[in-house]
Amino acid sequence: MTRSIFFSLVFHSLMIIFTALTLPFMKRAPIDVPPILSIDLIQITDTTSIPFAAKAAKTLEKIKKKEEERIVSEQAPPTEKKKEKPDRIPLPEDLNKEQKQLVKKKQNPKEVKDEIRQASEFEKKELFDPNQIAALIDKSKEETAETLKKTDKLTQSNVKTSFATGLTLSQEDALKAQIFGCWSLPLGLPYQENLLVRIKLRLRPDGTVLRSEILDHARMNMPGQGFYKVLAESALRAIRICQPLRVPPTSYEKWKDLQLNFDANEMLKG
Amino acid sequence: MILGTNFKKFLIVILAGVALSACATQKKSSGMLQSDVYTGSDTVEYLATGVKDRVFFATNKSTLTTASRDTLRKQAAWMRKKKNLTFSIEGHADERGTREYNLALGERRANAVKDYLMTYGISGSRLSVISYGKERPVNSGSNPLAWSQNRRSVTVKAK
Amino acid sequence: MKKLILSIFFLFILSKSVNALVEVDITRGNLDPLPIAVSPLYIEPGSKDIKRDNKVIKNIGEEISKVIEVNFKRSGLFNPLKKESFVQKPDIAHVKPRFEDWRLIKAQALVTGKVTVTDDKLRAEFRLWDVVAAKEMVALAFSTTPDNWRRVAHIISDKIYKRLTGEEGYFDTRIIYVSETGPKTQRLKKLAIMDQDGANIKYLTLGNELVLTPRFSPKNQLVTYLSYFRNLPRVYLLDIETGVQEVVGDFPGMTFAPRFSPDGKKIIMSFAKDGNSDIYTMNLDTRVVEKITEHSSIDTSPSYSPDGKYICFNSDRSGLQQIYVMRSDGSNVKRITFGKGLYGTPVWSPRGDLIAFTKVHKGKFYIGVMRPDGSGERLLTQNFYQEAPSWSPNGRVLIFYRETKSDSEGKGFSAKLWSIDLTGYNERLIETETDGSDPSWSSLLSK
Repeated sequence: MTRSIFFSLVFHSLMIIFTALTLPFMKRAPIDVPPILSIDLIQITDTTSIPFAAKAAKTLEKIKKKEEERIVSEQAPPTEKKKEKPDRIPLPEDLNKEQKQLVKKKQNPKEVKDEIRQASEFEKKELFDPNQIAALIDKSKEETAETLKKTDKLTQSNVKTSFATGLTLSQEDALKAQIFGCWSLPLGLPYQENLLVRIKLRLRPDGTVLRSEILDHARMNMPGQGFYKVLAESALRAIRICQPLRVPPTSYEKWKDLQLNFDANEMLKG
Repeated sequence: MILGTNFKKFLIVILAGVALSACATQKKSSGMLQSDVYTGSDTVEYLATGVKDRVFFATNKSTLTTASRDTLRKQAAWMRKKKNLTFSIEGHADERGTREYNLALGERRANAVKDYLMTYGISGSRLSVISYGKERPVNSGSNPLAWSQNRRSVTVKAK
Repeated sequence: MKKLILSIFFLFILSKSVNALVEVDITRGNLDPLPIAVSPLYIEPGSKDIKRDNKVIKNIGEEISKVIEVNFKRSGLFNPLKKESFVQKPDIAHVKPRFEDWRLIKAQALVTGKVTVTDDKLRAEFRLWDVVAAKEMVALAFSTTPDNWRRVAHIISDKIYKRLTGEEGYFDTRIIYVSETGPKTQRLKKLAIMDQDGANIKYLTLGNELVLTPRFSPKNQLVTYLSYFRNLPRVYLLDIETGVQEVVGDFPGMTFAPRFSPDGKKIIMSFAKDGNSDIYTMNLDTRVVEKITEHSSIDTSPSYSPDGKYICFNSDRSGLQQIYVMRSDGSNVKRITFGKGLYGTPVWSPRGDLIAFTKVHKGKFYIGVMRPDGSGERLLTQNFYQEAPSWSPNGRVLIFYRETKSDSEGKGFSAKLWSIDLTGYNERLIETETDGSDPSWSSLLSK
């Protein structure tokens, strides 16, 4: 009994001494650890990067000055048109007017001239050849029709996309959000493997799918990669369920070839 | 100046120690566990007057404490008198471990007892060993006291 | 000249924009279980009812679909839709499903089938349809005896599981475990076997002696376990078909912790003598015994890798329980666990890629997995007491058991079987008639 008291006293006093010695250290200020900032990595596509817009503006000015320049692209002329005639901005009504004019009198040289002007500057030189006018009339009709269509699209769409490729950030986000909602990730996927499947689509203007192609097709039947087929099928199902896809209403040419990269790694690894 | 603050700290620590020890005394006074080994007499049975039938162990250990050796010496002395008796030494473990390892641990504990008895002249042929792992607890509780009572090796008279 | 260069440059940019391929990264989706509609199987007119133990099963087509649904639901990967919402009748759906009807209820996959029962034969066929793509994915038929109808449902489940996940299924399997009853201080333990969904429970021993840690042979014909028959704890073999039990080897001391080698030819186990436990194997044909570990520490819970080349085991040679890996001849012993706490019950996955284990740290029990080199330790679940994981044959699900706390009178104590996915999701209680412990999963019965 006394022994235990003795031992307890010794150990207690040792404890006290040790604690007293270490107290000053306990007074040190606690280390301030900054909170972890989560950073969302957003893919910024080429469409919204600034350099193109600046270049476009520069070139526009150049074209304005030198009208002999021959620019073959179907897109360029209408835009230039716009810049040259600021008063033409409220186009829809004008377009209707022009269309009516088209329909009414094709033979009227004046009207032809107008149309041709709208169509393309680069043909101006030939305009004054009276012999060519008949031929030009037919040509201009078609061209007008096309350019008119494009002009429609242009006025309704964002000017930013005119020289850009594909989709803007907001358009991409809209499409992503839509597909996120349609994609049921197969839950049994092995989380350590490469879970990327890329699907190339050719879309119709209304957002439905005309053709789909699974890239890395060889993986579908590789031994040990059975999950790839399952992953690819789930991606295809997501695309089908999501039809019609949330595509921009205009600039069909810019996004008609769409490649969706389904990557299940982010969701499964977390 | 420094001495003054140090002294204050000293006092604080002593006060804290006193406060803490008030709680700690509970275990100490009942004397049930010492270094994780059960030292009480509940669940203990007797082979003969003054001869306890079992010894206890610390968690995951099979070493004999001084108290255990004392008990076993008394067992050996009594066994020497009862030359016609044979015994089964049962090794047990508490439930806080995996089943298979506990079977091996029980066997180790029982053998620790057997080896000690043999050093006091009891023939190995009179002592058989069996391990029950955690299968036969004597206290069904799920608390440190119950577990300490279950970490045991019991000497049983063979029929 | 400058104009020309500029125009060419401009041309280049614009032509590129016209032919550009837009790439969009889809990195999120929903992790909900796949909605699948399991239509009751169409019963061929003229089929007999199935009689079993005085019970008559009237609507076998519906019973089979129910078993499939339960399998899917319990796997956590599929969401079987409610039958009340099904529009098409089973007979038409099996031949020509109207996918719009199924799309209406948001099903992405559809299972239909047909079953024919005669006196001595049951024939079942099923089709798996991709509702979204509107085409057939799998079509198979089976025939067996009528009282095997549950296995048909399990095999169908496995085929669908494989087609939709790319992995082998695990539904046509059995689980062997120890059924427990009685007070904690005197538990009555019997060997029990059941289908993995809890049906067809059979007791293999009477409870007269303590039985522990049963394991299946690779071909599921034999079981090895520890029995205290005649108060001598030894490893035994039990033939499930005949019920015959025999002791393994002639060891002069306790043998325990038995498992089969992957080829089913050997039993690997621990043998305890004079306070030391080492690992031994015995060839069941030649009866030759080999000593594998040679150390004064406790070596136990051995488990072979699926190729039979390595063994992982539990040893306290470092002072506390840790996990080691060695070659199957006992050479090249390497410790693989270095974390805080104790590690035990290592068991190698049938896929060879992981070792599951029990970890004890600061009074808590964990079930976890790690790679065979000890890296990538992942703890899946934590509890007051749980241990002894066993793998499903496809290496995706772990079954283990848990015990609850009890008061000093033993009240509140229970032991139950639980399962959890490798991902850590879908932790599930497995219902058993009595309390249960030491579960072990068979391999696929149909292989």
